This record gives sequence, structure tokens and C-alpha cells, in this order.
Amino acid sequence: MPSLKDIKTQINSVGSTKKITSAMKMVAASKLRRSQEKAEAARPYSSRLEEMLSSLASSAASGEGIIKLLSGTGNDQNYIVVPVSADRGLCGGFNSSINRETFKLVKSLESNGKKVQLMPVGKKSRDFFNRVMKDQIIESFVDLNVSSTGYESALNVSNKLQELYFEGKFDKCILVFNKFKSAISQEVTQQQLIPLDVSNSEKEEEKENSSNAIYDYEPDEETILKDLLPKNVSIQIFKVLLESDAGEQGARMAAMDNATRNAGEMIDSLTLKYNRTRQAFITKELIEIISGAESI
Amino acid sequence: MATISFDLVSPENLVFNDEVGTIIVPGKDGDLGILPGHSKVMSSLRPGRVMVYNEDKSLIKSFFVSGGFAEINPEKCIVLAESVVEVNSLEKTSIEKEIQELENKEGQETEEQLSVAKAKLEAINVNYYDKI
Repeated sequence: MPSLKDIKTQINSVGSTKKITSAMKMVAASKLRRSQEKAEAARPYSSRLEEMLSSLASSAASGEGIIKLLSGTGNDQNYIVVPVSADRGLCGGFNSSINRETFKLVKSLESNGKKVQLMPVGKKSRDFFNRVMKDQIIESFVDLNVSSTGYESALNVSNKLQELYFEGKFDKCILVFNKFKSAISQEVTQQQLIPLDVSNSEKEEEKENSSNAIYDYEPDEETILKDLLPKNVSIQIFKVLLESDAGEQGARMAAMDNATRNAGEMIDSLTLKYNRTRQAFITKELIEIISGAESI
Repeated sequence: MATISFDLVSPENLVFNDEVGTIIVPGKDGDLGILPGHSKVMSSLRPGRVMVYNEDKSLIKSFFVSGGFAEINPEKCIVLAESVVEVNSLEKTSIEKEIQELENKEGQETEEQLSVAKAKLEAINVNYYDKI
């Protein structure tokens, strides 16, 4: 049976853990608000860019050079998978679900005879894949801090990707990231980044465009497309990084909320145990005194 | 007089969004003056000034953009720019310093940065388009 002092120390330590988790929850909540604002502010740009792109995309069927970002290399053999995780833990299943999903994706691509390389973004996925598939990692990005450094951080990732693409290192690039659904729920999503997948947005656009007059292009369609495509890759990455950042804060907030609640419950049950033990001691002592008095 | 709605968007935020009279954007092949009812044009931009005027042709704001795209239709003009700063907030001395530093370096990237920095300097120094 634990002594009263043991239980007391346990209660104290759970109490201080609770203080930490509730503080972390507060911090995550305020960071979440900021990240969400950032993600929202970036939305007009990316949606505009997508609109522009889809109205241009139909005009360029195939080509050499930069247009390849749209049309693909014509092969389907080499893949690069980019899991986007957080740099820090203590955010529930946020990182592990990304890692699990990526791992599954890689295995299924490999079983179809594809060659897969990895480019993890974020410490948690880098560390994970360093353990399980070290030789497949060609590059990793950590400490991007997208909410403070902004667009620059996305440019780094995107430049590296495009460099590799034009060197012919891969044919397709797939992003795996947590899509921000609401403050408490994220959805693991796969998005094909290169070649650009315009099939979804194009259909809606076609309806709109049919009633609209055709644009004049200056200097010409191809030049614009050449400028637009690399930018679109960067912007897509930027958007994903922001979403993932907001998702991370949301996940941490939820995880810390749970932890705080659990700590509270634990303290309650420990306090109950403490009181019972104390009562038991008193009763025992009373019995000893009474039986001592009787025997005299 | 009619107005045209104008959006100036950077990757990080929506910089400007209002109904205006005239806009001048630095198109790749030359500056474009945009009035309400402009025909549909899509243009890429060079580094330079985006000038916004209200209906009586007085200057509201001028921005420096480092490049980007403009989508224009009769009711709306959208400028997607990579980086946007107000021309007033640019500092001449710091840009001159930047140019000097860049001139000592080499490489394609620095060349691009240099041309942007030079365009910045020009944007401060010139005053045409201030009155139209």
C-alpha cells in the first residue's frame, strides 16, 4: 500500500503536468488563429492563379522545357513523394498519420514496380524516414517556420523540386499533407504536384469560359504559361505548408485539451485514493487505541 | 464615370481591393493603362510600378511589384505579384547598398535580384505617371 506521502507527490506531479499541457493548449490556440489567418490571406492568390492556369492549360497540349510541368515527362516510372509533417511533436496523431500514409503510398507504388524517392518536409517525417527508408531520401527540409518566414520557405522547396525535375530525376511528384478541415480535425490528403493536375478545375472552367470571350495574351500564351507554371508549383507548396501549419496547431490544441482533461481526471481519482488511505490510517489508529484501552 | 474593380494580390495577402478609375501596370512589353471596359487581356509583368488612380485621375497609391501577372477584363483587373511594397516605403540608401553588394556577386540568381533592385531604384526616382 502506498504511503500518504507517495500519493501526495504523485498528485503534485500530475498537477504540474496539467499546468504545462493547459499552457501549451493556450499557446496552440493563439498560434492556430494566426496560422488560420495566414492561410486565409493566401487563398485569393492561389485561387486566382489556378483560374488563370486552367484557362491557359487547355491551349498548351504538350511541349518542351517548362511546359513539362504541365504535360509531364511522358513517363510514369520515377516518383518523388513529399510528406509534409510538423517540426515538433505533442500534437496527437498529426505526424504519425502522415508518416503512416506516406509509408503505405511508397509501398504500394513500389509493389507496382515504380521507383520512389522521398523528400520529407518537417523534422518528424525526416526522422521517421531516416529510420525506415534512409537510402531513398534525396533531400529534406526542416525548420521552415512557414508562419514567420512566409513565401520564401516555400520557394526553397519548390526550387529544389523543379531543379530535380528538369534534371530528369523523377516523373511525378506527390505531396502528402494534413488538410486543415476545422480546428479539431485534419484530413491526410495526397496531391499530385507535378505534372499539374488540371482535370478537376478545368471542367468547371469550361462552363464559365464557353460564355466568355477569349483573352488577349501579352506577350503570348506560351511565355505567360512558362512564367506561370513554376510560380504555381511554389504557390501550391506554400498553400500546403500553411494548411499543414494551421493543422498542426489545431491538432496540438486538441491533443493538449485531451491531456489536460485526463490529468484532471487523474488528479480526482488520486485525491479520492489519498482521502481513503488517510481515512484507513485514522481508523486503524483508532482501533489500536481502543483495543489498547480495553486491555488495561 | 465608371469604375473598375482592382485586386492586388501577393502570396501572403490581399494588398489592395477597391473600385478605382484607372490603373497602370508594368506589362512585359510595355506599360498598360487600364480603364473601365478594357478588353480582356492576360499579361505577365516586369518589375516596376503599379499605379492606382481614382475616377478624377488623381493618384491614390503606387506600389512596386517584382513581377507577376495581370488579368484584365471589362469589370475587373487582378494583379498577382510576387512581392509588393508601397513605393513610398522604399528606402533609397538601402537599395543602393543592395545594388552595390549584388554587383560584386555573380550568377543568374543575383542577376535577377539586381534587375529587381535596379527597377526599385528607378521606381523611386522617376515621377512620370504621377499626374495623368
